[in-house]
Amino acid sequence: MLRRELALALRARLAWMVAALSTLLVGHGFILAVDLYTAGSRSVRANVLMAREFDPLAGIVRPTLGGLYLAASLLVPLVAARPLAVEKERRSLGPLLLMTGSPGRVVAAKFAAAVASASLLLVGPAVALVAWRLAGGHLAPAETAVALVGHALYMIALCALGTAAAAWMGTLAQAAALGVVVVLSSWAIDAADGFAALAWLGGAAPWSFTTHLAPFERGTLMPADALWMLAATSLFLALARVGVGLDVSPRRKATAAALIVVVGVGVLHFVGEWRRGYDLTEARRASLPPAAVRALRHLRSPIALDVWLDRDDSRRRQMESDVVAKLRLARPDAAIRFPLDARPDPAEAAGEEGYGRTVVRVGGHRGETYSASRREIVTVIFEAAGAPPPSWWQPTYPGYPLVPMGRTRWWMAVVAYGLAPGGLLGAGLWITRRRRRS
Amino acid sequence: MAALTLAVEGLSLRRNGRLVLDGVTFEAAGGEVVALIGPNGAGKTTLLECLTGLQRADRGTVAFGGAALTSLAGRSAVFAYMPDDAEAPAELTVREWMAFAARVHRTPAAKVRQLSERLRVAPLLGARAGDLSRGERRRVALCTTLCAERPVVVLDEPLGVFDPRQLRDVLAVLQGVAAAGAALVVSVHQMSDAEKIADRVMLLAAGRVVAFGSLPQLRAQASAAPDAPLEAVFLALLGGTGADAPA
Repeated sequence: MLRRELALALRARLAWMVAALSTLLVGHGFILAVDLYTAGSRSVRANVLMAREFDPLAGIVRPTLGGLYLAASLLVPLVAARPLAVEKERRSLGPLLLMTGSPGRVVAAKFAAAVASASLLLVGPAVALVAWRLAGGHLAPAETAVALVGHALYMIALCALGTAAAAWMGTLAQAAALGVVVVLSSWAIDAADGFAALAWLGGAAPWSFTTHLAPFERGTLMPADALWMLAATSLFLALARVGVGLDVSPRRKATAAALIVVVGVGVLHFVGEWRRGYDLTEARRASLPPAAVRALRHLRSPIALDVWLDRDDSRRRQMESDVVAKLRLARPDAAIRFPLDARPDPAEAAGEEGYGRTVVRVGGHRGETYSASRREIVTVIFEAAGAPPPSWWQPTYPGYPLVPMGRTRWWMAVVAYGLAPGGLLGAGLWITRRRRRS
Repeated sequence: MAALTLAVEGLSLRRNGRLVLDGVTFEAAGGEVVALIGPNGAGKTTLLECLTGLQRADRGTVAFGGAALTSLAGRSAVFAYMPDDAEAPAELTVREWMAFAARVHRTPAAKVRQLSERLRVAPLLGARAGDLSRGERRRVALCTTLCAERPVVVLDEPLGVFDPRQLRDVLAVLQGVAAAGAALVVSVHQMSDAEKIADRVMLLAAGRVVAFGSLPQLRAQASAAPDAPLEAVFLALLGGTGADAPA
């Protein structure tokens, strides 16, 4: 069964065209990132301190995977829906189900075929990162692997989404449209951070794929986010299984689907509450200094932070990706709240008194600061706890500026814009060519 | 013998307010070929899909060997089904298509080889299924269906696309399958084809069974001459009921 499904998926021109298009997009993101990184690197050759800011995870890997994220979000639902949707369009799904007698097996095989098709999209980032290494660039294996695993999990979830959409829709076009609508809903939730008009969606942030992908891109392995992606995958696959069922009435199908959604939402919510994480970045730069982490974990009292910043405030975004993320790694139980999220209108525009402050509570004690600096906020936590501030020493991250030599940049562009997408297109044409009869 | 009988009772289906199947009842014993005939829109394909479980009937039962078939797994163990309008898996070669069917049904290689030779599929093995002509595709689909070796073989319009030589081969194969003990339920458009293959004929019109029996029984029911062709019987029976109009 699996062999048949892989043949159906990988001999479809659509899979190869999508992979080539995605590789082109990823390659473009990679070349733009290389140019920016190179331009910055030129100016810091003589300055060791500035060189520390040159982080290939943030400067090369993340923008490259950004291209993959865009391509996967828009194209994987289409590619993933195809294996099941074409059976419907060819009117061969019913006979296939009757032949195998197992809808679960059919869904599993279709999902595996979808994953195989979608995995072609990973060729682009793989080629780009190999090109970066060949050009002399640095990549820390663990943090790069974590970022790739995050995107692989996201793509697997999208494959399950595409399969579920195909199970419930009649045609490939309908299934792809439904898949893209779900992705766009996730994007709308993400947009709540930047647009006051969509701020009302901000409370739904835990339901966005991007929310659970972001820690991976920072090189931190959050089991809860990995489990969330896997739980979403299981939810979509369970819906797909119900969707292809032949021997149940439409009413029972709808009831089963509703039940699965309710249980799935509960599981996703429960999984999302688990905050333990592991910093796998080089020199543990996604964490607070080691002494601060140890001291924070030794504090017995509960820690709570109230951050009085609007959702679309850039200081808040900076805090969320820095001190909040690092504090959560050190103290997963810390309660971090954003009280202004409950308000319908931006508080900053209203000139509200006390806007911008962070109120810290440790046990029964309280501290307050208007700074967004992680050192300042951690110091306030220790002041409130009545403990001395810990050492702020952190292992030095050397930074890896790079200016590609000679024609290296030219070769990178040839690979990114020509050889990689062209190779995939050529391979696709070869594999899907017509055959002579024996 | 009773253990090998397919029994369909009171199968009814209403779709968009229209009664597509109206209490269809019939039996097909092992070794017997039942030809299903009827005007366009009579409900032949719907009946075969309800029989095999691909559509859910509103009422009625399908049983085999006395046991009701209520689950997909149960139906899968009983029926081999070839739909009329399913497209071929265009990306696969005929060899891969056949190999898949043989693997799923655990058909011995010798049986697959024998079927592919008798249905003249062997010369097509290297071709992509999407590149086959309609008749070739039909032969391969029949071959993959018959690999299943199920006790009931349900074929929707299997004969309409063949030239006389291919038709002779296919009819011989189907008669061989029935002789081996399987019950065949075959929907047929050409009355001459039904005459060649059927032990009993069921005439369906507007979702109702108008007549069901051997050809002499149908002739008697239609008050036709003892040597009247099935086509004349078909017209006489339909003319009498006026049942080809939608209900």
